[in-house]
Amino acid sequence: MRKAQHSGRSPNTNQRNQATRETVTRFFAELAAAGHVPTFERNSATLRFDVRGDDKSAGETAERWYVAVTNGDVTVSRRNGSADAVVRIERRCLESLVTGRLNAQAAYLRGLFSCEGSMAAVIMFQRCLPGPPGSTGRIGPLTSAQVMAERRAG
Amino acid sequence: MSDRLVQILEGNTFVVSDDRGDIEARAEDPTGLFSFDTRFLSKWVLTVNGERLTALSTDDLQYFKSRFFLVPGTGTVYVDATLTVIRQREVANGFHEELRVLNHRDKPVDLRIRIDAASDFADLFEVKDALKKKGKYAHRVVDGNLVLRYFRDTYVRETWIYSSERAAVDERGLEFAVTVPPHGEWATELDVLASDGEQHALAGRRPAHPNMARGLEKWLDRAPRMECDWQPLEHIYRRCLTDLAALRFSTLTMPGRSLPAAGLPWFMTIFGRDSIFTSLQSLPFVPELAATTLRALAERQGTRVDDFRDEDPGRILHEMRYGELTAFEERPHSPYYGNADATPLFVVLLDEYERWTGDTKLVRDLEQAARAALAWVNLYADLQGNGYISYQRRKAKTGLENQCWKDSWDSISYRNGDLPGFPRATCELQGYAYDAKIRAARLARVVWHDDSFADQLLKEAAALKRRFNKDFWVADGEYFAVALDSDGRQVDSLTSNIGHLLWSGIVEASKARAVARHLMSPRLFSGWGVRTLAEGEARYNPIGYHTGTVWPFDNSFIAWGMRRYGFKDEAAAIASGIMQAAEVFEGRLPEAFGGYQRSMTGYPVQYPTACSPQAWSTGAPLLLLRTALGLEPHDEHLLVDPALPDLIGNLELLDVPGRWKRMDAFGRGRIDTRRFTAR
Repeated sequence: MRKAQHSGRSPNTNQRNQATRETVTRFFAELAAAGHVPTFERNSATLRFDVRGDDKSAGETAERWYVAVTNGDVTVSRRNGSADAVVRIERRCLESLVTGRLNAQAAYLRGLFSCEGSMAAVIMFQRCLPGPPGSTGRIGPLTSAQVMAERRAG
Repeated sequence: MSDRLVQILEGNTFVVSDDRGDIEARAEDPTGLFSFDTRFLSKWVLTVNGERLTALSTDDLQYFKSRFFLVPGTGTVYVDATLTVIRQREVANGFHEELRVLNHRDKPVDLRIRIDAASDFADLFEVKDALKKKGKYAHRVVDGNLVLRYFRDTYVRETWIYSSERAAVDERGLEFAVTVPPHGEWATELDVLASDGEQHALAGRRPAHPNMARGLEKWLDRAPRMECDWQPLEHIYRRCLTDLAALRFSTLTMPGRSLPAAGLPWFMTIFGRDSIFTSLQSLPFVPELAATTLRALAERQGTRVDDFRDEDPGRILHEMRYGELTAFEERPHSPYYGNADATPLFVVLLDEYERWTGDTKLVRDLEQAARAALAWVNLYADLQGNGYISYQRRKAKTGLENQCWKDSWDSISYRNGDLPGFPRATCELQGYAYDAKIRAARLARVVWHDDSFADQLLKEAAALKRRFNKDFWVADGEYFAVALDSDGRQVDSLTSNIGHLLWSGIVEASKARAVARHLMSPRLFSGWGVRTLAEGEARYNPIGYHTGTVWPFDNSFIAWGMRRYGFKDEAAAIASGIMQAAEVFEGRLPEAFGGYQRSMTGYPVQYPTACSPQAWSTGAPLLLLRTALGLEPHDEHLLVDPALPDLIGNLELLDVPGRWKRMDAFGRGRIDTRRFTAR
């Protein structure tokens, strides 16, 4: 798995930052448009994402996303309110999460984001994240002869 | 694991040391302080005036506490008995250690007491493979405390070591230069804290859990009281409850509640299958374990397709880990979903839990999760499009080959010993799927108020039962094949798996007698219990992990199946055999024991495994008690229909919790089981 990269300055940096911002914005817009997420049903929680930017001022919050879940219904805003869980994360890392290139649990264990407050809210939220690009769930069958041949070889 | 090693634990934090309390990790000696699947201390060695110590005695006071009586010197003949060193250690978030040095002379004595400390921060997965670490170490002294640090990119793990007495601290340990008065004493308290970064350690020293002993007492008090003519059973029962307490594990999302982890100490984590089976076994005794298991598994139910983790929407997780290899996705345990049974079993547990407790709120809360699990069974698990659950890992390097409870490489074979291809559809999976549908139909009617869903589930279940009894039935042997292979051909060996089919109720009434007869035949029943694979099959080996050994957990579910189909004597015989084995193992059943014929060895031969106690072995006597007493919830009542082996005599189980509040159950052992157990 690729880790979220800390970019150096390059001619494409601004362009890439722009694309990252758009991907994150699109994810939350789609979540808001869905309005209801079945896997969140009978769950209610609020999460605030304090997103750090991409350049040298990376320590400061560049944008905020506020997700409120009420029994499966989802609203998204940019407000700076108190929340059950406050997630502090770099924009590039958030982009990796919302595109399925980075697993949320692995990212948390690696210290790529921090969570203040309810861990349960974060675990709930990660259920709406997509799987890795390229995962199809399909694999060709193996015959008994192949299995036995592998065993003899191994 | 060698006998001289001492283990104490709380949740997923545990310490393995030698009998002096020292830790000196080597590849072949996996000692240390572990927490969240990471070793936070690989060295913790006490010396007095440069000398190592010798243990006079070591007491395991509780599963979370031990005490070491030591004297300086390592000579085997002569020890200097003018000093005693006492270490008392208790596991919390790390551990708390009280170190006392007693001077028995009438003169003061000057001592240099040193503790050497170090950590390799190995992932549990790395410990036995001795893998090379990819990160860097940075140890330092902060305000007179020693901090061991490991980091790799943003991944940070630290061990903070505090002492109540002032010490000279360097990066390799702590040293005390003290004078102990005549017949006097010197003491210090040491705290070792596991941390994943500075913010946690800065929160300050956390005291050892003060209520752990009281918590254990309360746990034992809440469980039903048992009295019995056969003394060993009372001991077995108490041992099981105490071991279950030690196996309790809390997730980060539900700190105050616990579920059963799989085994101690290396498997102190959520395993979908093990946590569900153990919850089922212990439902009549400690129902809260089931509730937490269901919630924790639902929280992490699969929602997407992820080939690395074998994740699909609706799938219930297999194993969760927190170490460095998982963090960097070198292992897929974040969590890993590669099992084919936990998902239908999740639904089975949800229904069984409600039947016992009447907790409809949980069933409503988990309606979506249950529906997603049932959808997984029909859609994602049907790899061959033949209406059966099959499994095949999607990543050969990191995935599990056999995704059923018999998960070793050679567990599923034809009579001639050949191994089938993939996908494999093992028989018990179809039984679980059938049972899940039947049980979900009840929940749909009673709790979710969705009659059309209930009707659909019953229709699917009936069709599945019909097809299964045709496709899996080995006509020339009169039993069910262990699996269908990738061509839909029967994998025709005779195994204990057919006992799970009785438990699930998928066996047609006309076939049940033949199945029960096979299970109790000399080929499968050793006199102690049912073997995993029948004598006479090519891969049969009485000490083969899943190819001939007897698994207590397996047997407890087979006994349940026997009761379901009315085979009371057979269920009693299994209870009798396994309970007598438990007596030999002093109340603590191993994961598996040898499949030798009982009369050949006279005692059950333990299969060597690293983990003890194992959760579902711990739960086996509990489930056998239930099946022997014939405990069955029926509406608001507890039905009791005892069929006890005569070995047990009179048995009383008092204050069985459930939707009836508390009820008592009585039985008298009348069944002579010797025609099965005298083998």
